[in-house]
Amino acid sequence: MTDDKDVLRDVWFGRIPTCFTLYQDEITEREAEPYYLLLPRISYLTLVTDKVKKHFQKVMRQEEVSEIWFEYEGTPLKWHYPIGLLFDLHASNTALPWSITVHFKNFPEKDLLHCHSKDVIEAHFMACIKEADALKHKSQVINEMQKKDHKQLWMGLQNDKFEQFWAINRKLMEYPPEDNGFRYIPFRIYQATTERPFIQKLFRPIAAGGQLHTLGDLLKDVCPSTITPEDGEQKTQVMIHGIEPMLETPIQWLSEHMSYPDNFLHISIIPRPTD
Amino acid sequence: VSCGMAGEEGFFLEEKRFKQYCEDFVKHSQQIGDGWEWRTSKDLGDGYLSKTHFQVRNRHIPPDLKEKNNDNTEPTLFAHVEEPLDDSQAAGVGGTEEVVRYEYHVLYSSSYQVPVLYFRACFLDGRPLTLDEIWGSVHASYQARLQEGPWDTITQQEHPILGQPFFVLHPCRTNEFISAVLGGSQKHPRHTNYIILWLSTVGPVVGLNLPLSYAKLAPEQSTNTD
Repeated sequence: MTDDKDVLRDVWFGRIPTCFTLYQDEITEREAEPYYLLLPRISYLTLVTDKVKKHFQKVMRQEEVSEIWFEYEGTPLKWHYPIGLLFDLHASNTALPWSITVHFKNFPEKDLLHCHSKDVIEAHFMACIKEADALKHKSQVINEMQKKDHKQLWMGLQNDKFEQFWAINRKLMEYPPEDNGFRYIPFRIYQATTERPFIQKLFRPIAAGGQLHTLGDLLKDVCPSTITPEDGEQKTQVMIHGIEPMLETPIQWLSEHMSYPDNFLHISIIPRPTD
Repeated sequence: VSCGMAGEEGFFLEEKRFKQYCEDFVKHSQQIGDGWEWRTSKDLGDGYLSKTHFQVRNRHIPPDLKEKNNDNTEPTLFAHVEEPLDDSQAAGVGGTEEVVRYEYHVLYSSSYQVPVLYFRACFLDGRPLTLDEIWGSVHASYQARLQEGPWDTITQQEHPILGQPFFVLHPCRTNEFISAVLGGSQKHPRHTNYIILWLSTVGPVVGLNLPLSYAKLAPEQSTNTD
């Protein structure tokens, strides 16, 4: 059991070394140096980049600054996706540090949600947790909690406090003794090549006969084309938190141990590198 | 926002039934020319209801208000134009008239097992309306009700099929008020199109009105059509 708790810590403390560079067309009064930061995989860009914003605003005129947004190789980065998901989906097989471009103008209205304050991030985070519990427990566990418990989940994430977060989150990972798992598994599967941002469906962790469904079972059910090898070669990687879990892993276990703090399993399907 | 789900009780809408109600809804819409259509996604075969219409938004600026007031939304009049745009209909109030393109989508949430209303609006030059501007278009009486009502949150979210920002009416309390109207899980609402009932309640809040003829729609009539 100690090993399983270690997984929770490894997930929580995962970091991505990132280099932030100001977009070349932004108007500055002095040259802008790049800014380096270790980004928490489990957090959100707009929650952890106050220092990045301050660093670049120092060399810009006030009137040139409006809402900050981030881009990687021409793709606007969705701040409402966890950082680890963005990296796995767009840059996992490229050299570190991750190079992100910072913008203060021409906010891409058609691509990105606005994020005018931390309240917006909190609302989004809590909405995800509530949706996850609707799937796992018909919302019973989240609704039984008090407002201060909800607040503790958010504060734990915001302040990078593992123990504070899990003191409450462990309740969201429990299930009735007569069941062998959650009602449905909260998951989303992402592929950068599709117009659809993600696939999400109802999926039970336990089969009718009582067997535990695996990650492979989930993929077969939800996006079969991605794991059927063509010519015997596996063209894609299935990635969660920067690793490829074995397809035989029970999905119930993955949900309990490798979900993001929002209680969702965010799974990336990416091209397998051909080297 | 506390998200009160009605637990085990209450009426949940299954996805198959959602699709059937939408099909009936679209058929009626076509009969009366109300502009709704069903869009199927190419990859997974799921889909959503969609309607786009143009509305003239009169921005009435009273002389005593400052030109740019960051704190309050400016009071606006909201005229729904049924016929093709006619200048004479928009005139008479003073201030600028702007044409706004509204797009409404009805999607199914498998997590909450209810329909969800997504919408966005932009001016003809493509500039999207902000949430404040959309709120400014909502009639004052609805705003008051919204403060206390269970559907009091409009947030910006990513459209789950198109991947673009839309505004969304928070869905998790839909079941609460639908159950209240339908009288709980005992009564099986065979004679009510859930979509019509739900949309006629939440739609007007965001400028979407259903002509009364939808109320005459009974499932038996439309599902048995040739």
